[in-house]
Amino acid sequence: MQVQVKLFAFFREGRFKEEGRELADNTIVGQVIDDLGIDREEVGVLMINSRHCQFDTVLRENDILAIFPVIGGG
Amino acid sequence: MAEESDLLRFLQERSDGNLLSLTAQREAARQFDCSLRDIEETALSHSILPERYQRNGLLPAQQLLLFHAKVAIIGSGGLGGRVAELLARMGVGNIFLTDPDIFNESNLNRQNFCTTETLGDYKVEVVARELKKINPILNIEMTKGLFSETSVSAADLIVDGLDSIEDRRHLSQLCMKYCRPLIHAAVNKWYGQVGVEQLKSNLIAQLFPLQAQALSPPQVLPPTVALLAAMQAAEVCKLILGQNSPLTAAWLHCDLLNCEYHLLPYK
Repeated sequence: MQVQVKLFAFFREGRFKEEGRELADNTIVGQVIDDLGIDREEVGVLMINSRHCQFDTVLRENDILAIFPVIGGG
Repeated sequence: MAEESDLLRFLQERSDGNLLSLTAQREAARQFDCSLRDIEETALSHSILPERYQRNGLLPAQQLLLFHAKVAIIGSGGLGGRVAELLARMGVGNIFLTDPDIFNESNLNRQNFCTTETLGDYKVEVVARELKKINPILNIEMTKGLFSETSVSAADLIVDGLDSIEDRRHLSQLCMKYCRPLIHAAVNKWYGQVGVEQLKSNLIAQLFPLQAQALSPPQVLPPTVALLAAMQAAEVCKLILGQNSPLTAAWLHCDLLNCEYHLLPYK
C-alpha cells in the first residue's frame, strides 16, 4: 500500500520533507519511524490525516503520516 | 478622598488630550507623596493614558486590565527573559519571576539582559532590575529557585520558559490543579512550538508523550527564541484582554528555516 510520510523540524535533516512510501499491509506507525532511523524517544506528536495517533496505530492505504520531534529548549 | 480628587485634577490638568507624560507622573508622585504605580492606576481608572502606552493602541480600560494582571514567568532565560521585557513594556503590572540559575557564557547568544557584565549574576535579579528601569510601575516578585505551588496559585496566567520536559510536566500539573492557563513555548535550532494549555486541553501531555526525551542540551538560535517569546507575550496579552485565540484550540509549529507555520489541532 502507498502511504505519504511528512517529516517536520530537524527530522528532515539528512532525510526528506515528504515522501511516498510503499509499505506492507498492516504496517504500524512505529515500524515506519524505526525504518527511518528515528529514535522513538525523540518523537513528539504523531498524526495520521491530521488526527493524533500512536506508535502502534495501523496505517491504511493513502494515509498521510506526520512525524514531529520533541522540542524542549527555552 | 479630597486628596485623590486633587490628584485627579492635577493629572487631568497636566494631560495633553488624554496622554500623560512621565515628567507629569513624576511631579504628581512628588507632590502627592505616592508611587508612580499609584499615579498610573488613578490615571488609567479615569481614562488618562500614560504616554508610554500610546503606541500600544489599547484603550485606557484595556491598559487597566493589563495593569491589574498577575503573570508568573517560570524561567528567566531565552524565552522567559524576553517575555518579561515585552510584558513590562506593554504594561502588565504584576510580574513574578522564577529561576534558580545564574547567567553563563552559553546564555549570551540569546538571553536578553545576559551581557558580559551580568555573567555570574542571578538571572531573576538582573531581569527584575532591568525591567524596573524600563517600567518603574511594575510590581515584580522574584524567586531564586525552582517554581512551587505558590508560583502558580499566586498568578492569573503562567508562562512556560522552562527547558526540561520533566519540569514542564510538573508545571502543567500545577496549572491544571489551580485552573491557570499555561502559555507554552519551546525551541530547538530553527524550530519552535507555541500553544495555550487550558483545563482539559492536555497540550503538554500531547507534545511530550511519556517516552519522549529531549536532546540535551538543546541548541537554540536567537531568532527562534525571539519569535516564540513574542508569540507567548501576545497570547498573554490576548488572554488578559479576553480576546479569542486560535492557540487555545490548536498549537503552532514554527519552522524558521523553511518559513513553514502549521496550526495543529489538539487531540
